[in-house]
Amino acid sequence: MTAVADWTSAVAVAPAAPARRRRAWRRLRRDPIALFAATILALFLLTAAFAPLIAPSADQGRGTAHVASRDLGPSAAHLFGTDHLGRDLVSRVVMGTRPALGSAVAVVLLAVLIGVPLGLAAGYVGGRIDEALSRLTDLFLSFPPLLLAMVIAALLGPSLTHAVFALAISWWPWYARLARSVAQSLRHAPFVDAARVFGVRTPTIIARHVLRNALTPILVQATVDAGTVILAVGSLSFLGLGSQPPLPDWGLMVSDGRTTVLTDWWIATFPGLAIFVVALGFNLLGDALRDVLDPRSGG
Amino acid sequence: MSVLLEIDDLAVDFVRDGRVATRAVRGVSLELSAGEALGIVGETGCGKTVTGLSILRMLPPTARTRGRIAFNGLELLELPERALRDLRGRRISMVFQAPGTSFNPVFPLGRQLQHVAERHLGLNRRESARLVAERLREVGLPDPERTMRLYPHELSGGMLQRAMIAMALLCRPSLLIADEPTTALDVTLAEQILRLLRSLQRELGFAVFFISHDLDLVGDFCDRVAVLYAGRVIESGPAAELLENARHPYTKALIAALPRHGRPGAALETVSGNVPAGLEEPPGCAFAPRCPIAAAECLTGPPPLTLTGDRAVACYRWDAA
Repeated sequence: MTAVADWTSAVAVAPAAPARRRRAWRRLRRDPIALFAATILALFLLTAAFAPLIAPSADQGRGTAHVASRDLGPSAAHLFGTDHLGRDLVSRVVMGTRPALGSAVAVVLLAVLIGVPLGLAAGYVGGRIDEALSRLTDLFLSFPPLLLAMVIAALLGPSLTHAVFALAISWWPWYARLARSVAQSLRHAPFVDAARVFGVRTPTIIARHVLRNALTPILVQATVDAGTVILAVGSLSFLGLGSQPPLPDWGLMVSDGRTTVLTDWWIATFPGLAIFVVALGFNLLGDALRDVLDPRSGG
Repeated sequence: MSVLLEIDDLAVDFVRDGRVATRAVRGVSLELSAGEALGIVGETGCGKTVTGLSILRMLPPTARTRGRIAFNGLELLELPERALRDLRGRRISMVFQAPGTSFNPVFPLGRQLQHVAERHLGLNRRESARLVAERLREVGLPDPERTMRLYPHELSGGMLQRAMIAMALLCRPSLLIADEPTTALDVTLAEQILRLLRSLQRELGFAVFFISHDLDLVGDFCDRVAVLYAGRVIESGPAAELLENARHPYTKALIAALPRHGRPGAALETVSGNVPAGLEEPPGCAFAPRCPIAAAECLTGPPPLTLTGDRAVACYRWDAA
């Protein structure tokens, strides 16, 4: 075939798949904001992993009081100062990375696990099933998350676990909607029809073709949401509906320092800053991922 | 030659809100022998694509299909879902109009062909990779190992259509449905793709159900041609003969409308009027309102498809003049 020669040159310019993936990775690394966000999150993750080793006093971090050193301001011995029970706030904040990141991951994971399958089914199958699932989604969306958490706390007693469930219950509908919109737009995509023509079963089509195309928006949404969830868990704990003392929860610590914020400002400020920085990190990284992960953009 | 595919009095209606909204196919009967290329020609909306899709039962759930379609003795319209899936892509394959969107953008090309090989031939990943590379070479794609790693958006339309053909022929089907396989390509590429299809057909011996609105193309490519009008076959016969000496006034009008029959500078011929749409059922021959030789008898009822030798025509007056 004579035309083959012209194509060889065309192929030579197009990068192969691994090169393309490397390029996306390189673009992510070159983006200063993404790099900044990823560094922050990596630091927090490392801190969470090695918290008892990093904290100057792991015991105080976990909640053991040390009355002799109450309400000390920031100093060389206590960089963030100490709280009303004399606990070193560096230790408290460091130990607090575990419930904060843990609850964020748990909420987002639960929300994805509930929402995505329901959304894919609704969007791909359509018709009555879509109608029923969409109304169910709307029903859950109509609960204000804080109110739902308060109801659950009132019924089951306040705890971090209950707060996580409450948030997951009010969060999954967003993932259901996201997955549904992707599934719906792909239901009649020519490549889905092509898969059917080639004898692929519906569950395989959904898992392989539809879910795969939904993964990028889900990953981006999950990253951004992780930040929001940390804020929400903090709010619930602040209100007394989440973690209970002496758990090192940042929201709880802010609540603890609230009454004395004008005199002993450090008690509320440092845990608050931790919440702010982590939430910011997740948000920035989510945005950067959105730009880089689309296989059709650039590369 | 043995009959491979037999479509008998196929009718397809589309329903909306429980009522028939469109009668797309109104009694089509066709036969396709093993290794033969049959061209299905007609205007947009004549039912040619719907006929093609009904062979693999790819019509949307709103379609109501009657009649029978037999493939190698298998009743396709009655086949259980599972058996049908095993048939799809393995014994009956399809090539689509838009190669650019027929591949999933998030998988490398090779993986998508490998999926088919693994699904139907029970190959493992390494074996399927070897087979796919071989098949890609067969359709004239250079450096298959490299091409397999490319994503669909990194390939041109012509290359994708070649890959599509490779995928369709991966399991050596005995029937290939080609729904306007060259419409999305420019003329030179279309020519190359057709040449490729024909040489593969000669070599592998599969039958082709070739759907097109381009009479010239079909005349070139196919052994036999069936012309559809308003959901019915109005004329069929050997391609060369039919194009040379059309009998039905509609086929004649289509041939007259081909650009190559006009003189340079002269206005192009058209077939005046429109195809009867949706539910409209003219009392007699569906073409009568647009027909230059229509007479009173044409309004008495749809003309039967009458056979003479290997040609058939559905017209009361084709030999009147």
